[in-house]
Amino acid sequence: MEMDMDMPDPDELEWMESHGLLPEEEEDAYFDEPDEGFVPPHGDSDQPRDSPQPQEPAAPRTNEASEGGLKRPPPPPPSEQEDEGERSKRRNVGREDEDWLRYSPPPAPEVVIAEKTISRYASEIHGDSVPVTAPNGDRVYAKLAFEGLVGQGISGTRQWTHFSIPNRGHTGLLSESFHSLTRRAEQEALAKALQESTDSIDHEACSVTPIVTEKLWVEKYAPNSFTELLSDEHTNREVLLWLKQWDSCVFGSHIRATGDEVLSALRRHSSTTQKNASNRNFFSKSKGVRVVSLDDTPLNAPSSNPEGLGGSFSRMSSVDNTPEQKVLLLCGPPGLGKTTLAHVAARHCGYHVVEINASDDRSASSIETKILDVVQMNSIMSDSKPKCLVIDEIDGALGDGKGAVEVILKMINAEKSNNSDRSTNGEETQVRKASKKSHKIAKLLRPVICICNDLYAPALRQLRQVAKVHVFVQPTISRVVNRLKYICKTEGFKTSLIALSALAEYTECDIRSCLNTLQFLNKKRVALNVTAFDSQVIGQKDKSKSILDVWKQVLQKKKVKRTAKSESHFNEDKDINSLFTLISNRGDYDVTMDGIHENFLRLSYHDPMLQKTVKCLDILGVSDSLTQYVYRTQQMPLHAYQPPIAITISRMVAQVEKPNIEWPKALQRSRALLLEKKDMLKTWQNQMSPFVSRHLSVESFVEDIASPFLHILSPLGLRPVALNLLSEREKDELAQLVDTMVSYSVTYRNKKFVPQEKANISVVQHEVSSLSLYPPINDVINFKGYQSEHIGLSLAMKQVLVHEVEKQKIIKDSSGKLLNQTNDGDIKSEALSAIRKKTVADSIGPKLHSSKDSSKHNSCMLEMQSNSTSSVNDKDSRPAKKHSIRTVNFFERFRKEKPVDAKTRSDAGQQGATILRDSRPLIFKFNEGFTNAVKRPVRVRDLLLN
Amino acid sequence: MLWVDKYRPKTLDKVTVHDQVAQNLRKLVSEQDCPHLLFYGPSGSGKKTLILALIKQMFGAGAEKVKLENKTWKIDTGTRTLEIELAMLSSSHHVEMNPSDAGFQDRYVVQEVIKEMAKNRPIDAKGKRAFKVLVLNEVDKLSREAQHSLRRTMEKYSSSCRLILCCNSSSKVTEAVRSRCLNVRVNAPSEDQIVQVLEFIGKKENLHLPAGFAARIAAQSNRNLRRAILFFETCKVQQYPFTSNQVVPPLDWEQYVSEIATDILTEQSPKRLYAVRQKFYELLVNCIPPESILKKLLAELLRKLDADLKHEICHWAAHYEHKMRLGSKAIFHLEAFVAKFMSVYKEFLVATFG
Repeated sequence: MEMDMDMPDPDELEWMESHGLLPEEEEDAYFDEPDEGFVPPHGDSDQPRDSPQPQEPAAPRTNEASEGGLKRPPPPPPSEQEDEGERSKRRNVGREDEDWLRYSPPPAPEVVIAEKTISRYASEIHGDSVPVTAPNGDRVYAKLAFEGLVGQGISGTRQWTHFSIPNRGHTGLLSESFHSLTRRAEQEALAKALQESTDSIDHEACSVTPIVTEKLWVEKYAPNSFTELLSDEHTNREVLLWLKQWDSCVFGSHIRATGDEVLSALRRHSSTTQKNASNRNFFSKSKGVRVVSLDDTPLNAPSSNPEGLGGSFSRMSSVDNTPEQKVLLLCGPPGLGKTTLAHVAARHCGYHVVEINASDDRSASSIETKILDVVQMNSIMSDSKPKCLVIDEIDGALGDGKGAVEVILKMINAEKSNNSDRSTNGEETQVRKASKKSHKIAKLLRPVICICNDLYAPALRQLRQVAKVHVFVQPTISRVVNRLKYICKTEGFKTSLIALSALAEYTECDIRSCLNTLQFLNKKRVALNVTAFDSQVIGQKDKSKSILDVWKQVLQKKKVKRTAKSESHFNEDKDINSLFTLISNRGDYDVTMDGIHENFLRLSYHDPMLQKTVKCLDILGVSDSLTQYVYRTQQMPLHAYQPPIAITISRMVAQVEKPNIEWPKALQRSRALLLEKKDMLKTWQNQMSPFVSRHLSVESFVEDIASPFLHILSPLGLRPVALNLLSEREKDELAQLVDTMVSYSVTYRNKKFVPQEKANISVVQHEVSSLSLYPPINDVINFKGYQSEHIGLSLAMKQVLVHEVEKQKIIKDSSGKLLNQTNDGDIKSEALSAIRKKTVADSIGPKLHSSKDSSKHNSCMLEMQSNSTSSVNDKDSRPAKKHSIRTVNFFERFRKEKPVDAKTRSDAGQQGATILRDSRPLIFKFNEGFTNAVKRPVRVRDLLLN
Repeated sequence: MLWVDKYRPKTLDKVTVHDQVAQNLRKLVSEQDCPHLLFYGPSGSGKKTLILALIKQMFGAGAEKVKLENKTWKIDTGTRTLEIELAMLSSSHHVEMNPSDAGFQDRYVVQEVIKEMAKNRPIDAKGKRAFKVLVLNEVDKLSREAQHSLRRTMEKYSSSCRLILCCNSSSKVTEAVRSRCLNVRVNAPSEDQIVQVLEFIGKKENLHLPAGFAARIAAQSNRNLRRAILFFETCKVQQYPFTSNQVVPPLDWEQYVSEIATDILTEQSPKRLYAVRQKFYELLVNCIPPESILKKLLAELLRKLDADLKHEICHWAAHYEHKMRLGSKAIFHLEAFVAKFMSVYKEFLVATFG
C-alpha cells in the first residue's frame, strides 16, 4: 500500500536479512544436534560464526544513520519488515557478544594484539579480522594474524592461541625453545578442544541463549503483513479501518494521513456502522492531505498558513478526531489469531506495538503509569513511531488486574467530560488547550486494542459498553488448511490434505494448536494421519462449554448419516467420548443433573410403558445419592461417575429435533421459597408466647395445624353485623377468637391490593379483602390449582377483629405488668387467663351496652381500654376513609356504612368512658416509661378504694 | 387459646392418654436421680406434653417461668469463627432448644453450646436437684457427627446435667446415644383414647356430643391427638349444635395429594408426570416434608388400587423413600416413584384390559 514508498530500500533490507539472519539459523541447527556428527568439532566451527560479523554491526548502524537522515521529526513509520530485521539483528549481535564473553580467556593477550592491529573500522584492516568487545562495550576489530607454523590440520585451536603464538615468536626471549612451546600449546589446545567438543552439548543445553531452541512454527510463520492474515477478511478490514481513524489524531495534520480513497476502499468492504464518525474523519483527512500536498514542512503554524482558518480547523480536528469508540475489543476463542491481527494491523498502520499481557504486573497503580506512557507521551527519541497499546488477555484481569480496565475507563470518561467542557468554553487557541489537557487528565490519544477470550467476563462489563467490539469467527477450514499446507511444504513435512483438514476440524480451527501439533509430529518424524487424533499425540483443548450447551448435547441426538454399520458403531463410541469429556469438563454436576431433570420430560421420546422414564428418574436418583454421599464423605474422585449417568440418560431419551432447553428454575425457586416460608414461620413462632410456641414445630404446624387453624380463625357462626346485635353466645365466640388470635399473635393487616386476585370473582370476599392475615399463614395452604374450602371473614368482621386484637394486646401487656408484682407463677397463669377472659368480656361489654352493668368489675383497666379504643378508632378512621375513596363498586355501599359504624362505636365507647369518669372522682393517666416525679409503688387497688 | 393448648395436661397426674408412662415417670423422678431420657414416637402423640409435665414434676412451678432467647453464639473452629443463631427457651432449671436448626453446623452447636451449658452447675439455693435439664428437640435430624459428639457430652457432664431428647423415630438416633438414655416410647394414642379426650374436652366446654361424632373425628385424625383436637374445635366453630353426619373439614395438603393421586390414576405419560412434578413442587415449597407426601400419596393410591398391585407398590414406595433419605433432592425420588407407579399400573391395565 502507501507505506511502501517510505521504506528506505526494501531490496537491501531483504538482502541483509537473508545474509545476516540465515547463517545464524544454520548455526542454530548445528548446535541443536551436535551429537549426530553433522559437524564435527572443528577449528573452522568458529570461523563461520565470525565471518558475517564484520558486516553485521556495521549494517544496522549505517541503516540507522540513513534512517535518521531520512526521517523527519514526526517519523514516517517504516515497514514492519525493516523493524523486524533490525530488531533481530540487534538481538543477534547481543547474542554474539555474550557468546564471545563466555568463551573468553583472561583478556590480557587481546590487549597485546589490540596494540598492534586494531581499528574501529573493519575496513581499515586488511585481511581477516575479528571483532572484539571490551567489557565496557567498546567494540573494535582486530586483525587476525596467521603464522605459517600453525598448521591448518590442527583442529580445535582457539583464536587466542593463534594470537599468542605470533606474539611470543616476535619477542624471542623465551626460556624454552619456541617449537617445544608451540607443541605443548598444540597439545593443550587439542585436549581442550576435544574436551570442549564432548561437553559442548551440556554446555549449550544449559545456556540461556535462545540460539539453541528451534523457533516455534507458530512464531516462524506468523503473518508479517496484513495480506497474510488468516483471520476473517471482514474482521481484518474492520480493525484496520478503526485504526486508520486514529490517523488524524495520532499523526496529526501532517503527512501521514490516510488518503480518502484508501479509507473509502476499506469502508467499501466493511460495514458502515459508524457513518457519522467516519464522515467527520473524511473531511479532516482530506484537509490533512491537502496540507501535505502544499508543503512538506511538518508543523506549519496556523498563522503562517494561507488558509489559517482551515489549518486551525484541521488542527482542532486532529485533536478531537479520535474515533467514536476509543477502545477496540477483540474477542474470540483462543488460537484464531487475535493477538497476531492486533500486532500486524497496528504495525501496518505505522504504530509501534506495546503489549501488556497477563504476565505483566497489572495492578492499577503500576499499569496506570504504563498506559499513560504509551498513550499520551511521544517518545523522547524522535525517531520512534507512535505507540499502539495492545492489552492481551484482558478478561483474565481479576482482582489487581482489573486496574487496566479501570484506567482505560477512567481515561475515556475523562475525555467525555472534557469534551463537554470544551463545548462550553468556546474558541480558544487550540494548541495551548491541547498541551494543558495532557497535563490535566489522562486522555486517550493513542489507539488501545484489548484482547479477550470471553466477551462476557464480568471484568469487562463496563468496557464492553464503550468499546468497539469485534467478535472473531472461526476462519474457514479451507483457509486454515491452505496455510497449513504451505507451511508443511516449506518445512518439508509430508501430509495429506485430508489429514490437515481433519486436524483443523479437530482443533476447531485453532491455528496455534494446529501448528504446534504439526511441529511436534515433525520433530518426532511421525506422519500425520487421521487415526492419530484419538491417541494422546494431539491434545484437545480443555475448554468448558456453557452449561446450556451441555444440556443441549445431552438431550439432542446428533444426526447420524447413513453409513456402514461398523462406521456407525465407531461414531457412537466417539459420541460417547465427546459427551464424556464435555460433561466432565463442565464439572458442575449438580446443575447439570438439575437441567436434565428439568428438561427431559418434555422431550417427545417414545415410551408407551414409561420404562425409559422410570430408568431415567432412577438414575437421576442415583446421581443425587452419589452427590450427597460425596459431599458427606468428601470423596471427590467419585464425581467421575457422574458423566456416565448423564450419558445413559442421553442414550435413552435424546431426540434428533432441537430441544427447547430451559434453565432449571423450578428446583432453585422451590428451595428459595421453602427457606423463605420456613423463616416466616419461625419468626412467627418466636413472636408467640413460649407456652404456645414450644409445642409447635414448622412441620407439625404445616402438617397438622394450618388447615384447622384457619378454619378456627374464620368461624362461620360470626355474622358480619354491628357488634351490639350479637347474641351472648356469639359474643363469647368472638371473645374466644380474639383470645386465640392474640395468643398465636395473628392479626389482620392491610395488604396491597393484588390485581391478580380479581380473577376469582366468584368468591367476592377474596377479591375485595384488603385485610389479610399477618403473618400470612394462609399462604401455606395455597397450592396452585387448588381451591381451598376456606372462607375468609368479611371485611367488616376483620376490621373489628383488628381492633379487638390490638386492644387485647395492650391489655395483656398491662395485665402482665400488674401481675408481675404478684410473684407467684402458678397463680399467675391462672389469673392471667381469668383476667384475660374477663377483660375480653368487659371490653366488648361496655361498647355494646354502654351501661354500667359490668361496672362491678370495672377497674382502671376499663378506663385504659376506652382510651385505647378511642385511640385505635382514631387511628383507624383514616384507612377507613381511604377505603371509601379507593374503589367504586358493589362494596361501596358497605364501606360507607362502616366508618359510621366505627364512629358510633367510638362514640359509644367514649360515652361509656365519660359516664364512668363522672361516676368516679378519680382520674389518672398512665404514661409508660416517663416520669419526673418521685416513684413509689402504688397499687391501683389502693387508689380505687373508696 | 386453642383447645389443644388449653387442655394440655400440665402435670403428670393429669395426663390421661399415656397414664402408664406418666406413672413410671413420676416414680422415676420421686427418687433423687434421673437418667438421660429419650422420648420417641409419632407426632401428635404427646411427647412434648409429657416432657414438660415431667420437668414441672421435677422442679415445681419454677420451671414454668421461661423466657425466649435468641442468642448468637460465636464458635471458633480453628480456621474461622462461626456465628450461629439459636432460639432457646430457658428457665432457671432447664433449657429447651432445637439444635438441628443450625443445619449442617449442628455439630458445633452440640460441641460448644451444649457443652458449655452442660458444664455449668446450676446454682440452686435449696439444693433440691443438683442438675439441670437440657431438652433437645428433633434429635433425629441431627447429623451423625453431631450425635457422635453428643455422646461424650452425655457421659462427661452427667453429674451436673440431664439430657432429655425428643424425636420421632429412634432409628435415626445412633445406637450409642440410645444406649446412654432411658428410652421412652410414646406411641400414638388409640382411637378410644382420643375419643375419651374429646369427650373430656366436650364436657369442659359444655358441648353436647352426638353419639359416634367423636369416634368419627378420631378415625379421621390418623391417631394424631393434636389433629383430633383441632378437628374437633374446627367442627365446633363451623357448626355448633353438632349433627352426627357433620363433615369434618379435611387437611388441605392431604386434599391436594389426593388430587395428585387422581391425576396419576387417570393418565400415565411423561406429560402427566411433568404436571405432577409441578404439583409436588407446590407441596414442597409449602414446607410439607417429602416423606409425608410420599406416605399420603401411597395411601391415596392404595385405596383405588387392585389388590394384586398393592404389595408391589408398597415395595416401591419403601424403596424410593429410602433413596430419598439418602439423597437431597426429594423431587427426583418422588417423581421416580410416580413414574414407577405409572409404569406398573399401565402394564397392569394393558395386561388385564388388553
